[in-house]
Amino acid sequence: MTTPDVASTAADLRDAIRSSDLRLSKFNPLPRILTFDDFNNGPHGWVELGGNYNGRGDLDSMDEHFRDFRPPMLSNQNFFDVGTHGGMTGTYSLKLATRQAPGHTATAIRRLTMSGRGLLQIEAYLAWKGEANLGGGEEANTYGDISWDANSHPTEAQFGAFTVATDLSHDGIRYHNVMRFQNADENGRIIQKWKYPTVAEPTPHERFEGKHDYGRYTDFTAPNPEDWTYLNDERQEACYNEVPTKVNWHYLRFLIDTTTRSNVELQFNNDTYDLRDVPVPPYSEKYESLESLLNFYFSVRTLGPHRNFLFLDSVVISADW
Amino acid sequence: MERGLELETVHETEPFEVAWAGEARWYVQFLRPAPGSDIEFRVQISPDGLTWIDHEGIEALTTEAVGLLSIPVTGFGHWLRLRSEQKSGSEAPMLRIYLELKE
Repeated sequence: MTTPDVASTAADLRDAIRSSDLRLSKFNPLPRILTFDDFNNGPHGWVELGGNYNGRGDLDSMDEHFRDFRPPMLSNQNFFDVGTHGGMTGTYSLKLATRQAPGHTATAIRRLTMSGRGLLQIEAYLAWKGEANLGGGEEANTYGDISWDANSHPTEAQFGAFTVATDLSHDGIRYHNVMRFQNADENGRIIQKWKYPTVAEPTPHERFEGKHDYGRYTDFTAPNPEDWTYLNDERQEACYNEVPTKVNWHYLRFLIDTTTRSNVELQFNNDTYDLRDVPVPPYSEKYESLESLLNFYFSVRTLGPHRNFLFLDSVVISADW
Repeated sequence: MERGLELETVHETEPFEVAWAGEARWYVQFLRPAPGSDIEFRVQISPDGLTWIDHEGIEALTTEAVGLLSIPVTGFGHWLRLRSEQKSGSEAPMLRIYLELKE
């Protein structure tokens, strides 16, 4: 066989083996799988994004808006009505939970480094939910755009946004690839569109230099709403499934290229978006101590006084190097 | 679970799912002590993360707001939280609260 034939056969064999693996067959990874996490035996390094602190560990030395991103937890999806729901792959999923505070964000980040350059991809099966409510008066049946009608549930309008993003740095240039699903606004008006920031995330080092000092519930990814742009005008409909205690898992795939420091593609269930024109603003300043940084994070942000949850059943990070 | 919490009379930690764990231990550190102030801690459990009661097997712990304390917990089901209440004293302490979980 010629060299291309060997490569093609190897790829076919790899695909065949993966497609017969019950855990991997629902993913579409690049040739080299860097991580596979189904959260049935631990969080696998997905941890709260923490702020940077000084040599004494002083809380006051941390950015105020980086102090409270909450620890992710292993969830068996235990609800008041059905008992234990469980995950898509086994019993447990990773749960990010916000506080009941407008603007509060919960995060989970996974920290690696790069052993090559090229295509890099994260895939996940995920679900997002508002918190169930027990009791209250008639006002509990309406929030923003949604009044309960035994189909739609007000908690769907109480869910703000979730985000998938990177924190990458190589050859002296640091940058973030970011895509956010904006479900509703601060008044509970349904949006359900993808958007991205047009600026780089404010860093603790910039605060140290006196360039900013944000408050606790600032949107850490890009604080100014005017620095976000919708990918298009189309509503991304999804399957919240009527109430906050029914969980339907959605497929997400985010493909980027570290060679060109660019976005490539976003897939959400059956919809695929070309992201090659979506900017990836780099930092103008060189960052020390971060060479070959390869981080992915998920976040969830509430815009009202309601807990918002993002569940990750399983996550695969893969590369073509 | 909390870092730099300014205790304002009563505080409850965020609902935390612990179904996978067989044992747990709370640690509370008074980052800014309030000598002479008494703080009461109650370990609470829940069937759904929404409605909470005191753990029937753990007495409420009242302590002066200094140093570091811990509370071991077993038999807790799927959810845990810690309730803190200042029972005496005029100065408010600042707390760090850890929840350690093991299979």
